[in-house]
Amino acid sequence: MANTSIELFGKTLKNPVMNASGTLGYGKEIEPLWPVETMGAYVTKGLSLEPHHGNPLPRIWDQQYGMINSIGLQNVGVERFFGHYFPFFRSRRIPIIVNFFGFSDDEYIRCAERIKPHELIVALEMNLSCPNVKKGGISFGKDPEMVYAIVKRVKEATSIPVIAKLTPEVKNIGEIASAAHEGGADGFTLLNTMPAAVVDVSQMRMPLRGGLSGPVMRPIALRAVFEISKAVPVPVIGAGGIMDSTDALAFLMAGAKAVQVGTATFVDPYAIPKIVEGIGEYLTRQKCANLDPIIGCTHREDSGSR
Amino acid sequence: MNDREGRIESNRMVAPGYFLMEIRLRGALTRPKPGQFIMLRIPGTEVFLRRPFGIYRYEKEKLTLMYRVVGKGTERLARAKENEPVAVLGPLGKGFHIGPRDHYIVVAGGIGIAGVHSLIETLGQKALILFGCGTKEELPIIEDLAPLKPMVSTMDGSYGLEGTVVDLLDSQLKSLKGNSEIFACGPEAMLTGLKKRIMEERIPCQVLVEERMACGLGLCFGCVRETIDETEPFKRVCKEGPVFDLWQIRL
Ligand SMILES: Cc1cc2nc3c(=O)[nH]c(=O)nc-3n(C[C@H](O)[C@H](O)[C@H](O)COP(=O)(O)OP(=O)(O)OC[C@H]3O[C@@H](n4cnc5c(N)ncnc54)[C@H](O)[C@@H]3O)c2cc1C
Ligand SMILES: Cc1cc2nc3c(=O)[nH]c(=O)nc-3n(C[C@H](O)[C@H](O)[C@H](O)COP(=O)(O)O)c2cc1C
Ligand code: FES
Repeated sequence: MANTSIELFGKTLKNPVMNASGTLGYGKEIEPLWPVETMGAYVTKGLSLEPHHGNPLPRIWDQQYGMINSIGLQNVGVERFFGHYFPFFRSRRIPIIVNFFGFSDDEYIRCAERIKPHELIVALEMNLSCPNVKKGGISFGKDPEMVYAIVKRVKEATSIPVIAKLTPEVKNIGEIASAAHEGGADGFTLLNTMPAAVVDVSQMRMPLRGGLSGPVMRPIALRAVFEISKAVPVPVIGAGGIMDSTDALAFLMAGAKAVQVGTATFVDPYAIPKIVEGIGEYLTRQKCANLDPIIGCTHREDSGSR
Repeated sequence: MNDREGRIESNRMVAPGYFLMEIRLRGALTRPKPGQFIMLRIPGTEVFLRRPFGIYRYEKEKLTLMYRVVGKGTERLARAKENEPVAVLGPLGKGFHIGPRDHYIVVAGGIGIAGVHSLIETLGQKALILFGCGTKEELPIIEDLAPLKPMVSTMDGSYGLEGTVVDLLDSQLKSLKGNSEIFACGPEAMLTGLKKRIMEERIPCQVLVEERMACGLGLCFGCVRETIDETEPFKRVCKEGPVFDLWQIRL
């Protein structure tokens, strides 16, 4: 059996597969189907300083190759997560990445401060797609200066490694990534959902505006992973439309050290365990002892910009 | 809970817009409770997410659903042919709780009957069945309940009482003695009407509510309903429901 483990921020994860934030509840809900420790790490639902009730309904709508969601970051707040849900991961010794967000700089900082280092916490994942209420609602992740400043402050507030999760809704994602890296980001998750809308023609209404995810996003995310993993010397985690192990391998080959699977779980609740298994089988078939020859292998043959 | 591959065994229209579909599963489901549901993978590739449906009947690896055509998923389902492959995740959610009562009243509006059909089969003669729909053309969907003598109302008065199923309930409540419990499933307007009608008596009532779903497992928080719970008011219909205490949810 090939070794699928990876090193991430000094911790060993048994495989490079995680769920994407907000797509696996609080972790326990999937257990009637498979144990959460099937994955290398569990990524929490986005947590905020105070509980959030989220957006009105409808919150989801599907398209042929993806879905649009407007959950609105409903969550129980960082305090209740650690009081009520974290003990489950502790008792089972499951590594976690804590996704968090705020609607102001202070909310980000205070939320990060509340999360105490723990051997099971691999990293904090900053969701940079949130609108900054103090700056008239422009999202934190769209402006390089804002990205630099917020990442820097979060880094000062915590000793846990910090991952910047970027939004695709920018002209030059490389520029945003450099800003985050200068601010001290220890890694990246690429990508978050893309702003999108639905029109119901029969009712002449727009029932939903939200974030697009699923296979439609895959080529966009792959390109971001490729470019940023080449340009910035820190781990990149790939996300966006990964449906099976071939997709996951594509992200690893494009330069991702790990992958996150979101929407696929709604289409096939066993997508994650199948991807974990498929990566192992691929390594065995290719006679690779581990993931080293896979991760970023497409960088070597790249013949320049296109 | 299981995720089972299956094949469509039959798919027929029972009334205009209403279909009954039998699915032969490869392997058994965990025994479903009345009120639980499944997530169905629609055949073909046009429909991305699964769709939730009540378990109309389940026996020995054969699952029966009743559905009404409302949009692209159910339209595709209506065109589905014998032998087309599907996948069924379930049984999901929390079903009805049947406690000891003198009377059970089942209130169903239109396709809401699909959600309470297996409950009615469980309660049998012990239940008073009240069914409301638009016109008498829809009545074939309760044909198989005839031995249980359901009471009917139609909006156009073409059969039974003219009016809503809540009007029908109203006509029955006065004659009931002892303690009763209501089980209901139907459109939102029916549920609000029902709540208003039984507010004064505060009759115990469980309702099966519907919401658009992505996962059906409590993973995405796409399907929430507001309740009176103060710490976590927004409950997931697929996980904490789909059956709720009428007096706990906000309508
Ligand atoms: C627990 C549960 C059990 C259900 N049981 C049954 C059943 O036994 N038989 C049946 O016919 N239907 C049932 N439904 C409703 C059924 O899921 C929807 O009709 C179906 O998902 C619509 O899919 P569509 O692709 O055809 O519609 P879409 O194209 O997605 O939407 C078309 C229209 O349908 C409405 N709609 C979409 N999803 C739902 C929903 N979940 N509930 C109500 N309206 C919706 C939308 O508001 C929209 O106007 C149930 C729903 C839930 C949550
Ligand atoms: C229902 C849903 C909820 C999400 N919630 C969050 C969240 O709380 N925080 C976050 O950073 N991303 C969130 N996302 C984005 C995903 O984590 C992921 O980046 C995106 O969906 C792309 O991956 P996918 O195509 O595999 O789903 C959410 C996505 C979905 C579909
Ligand atoms: S449908 Fe995903 S939480 Fe209910």
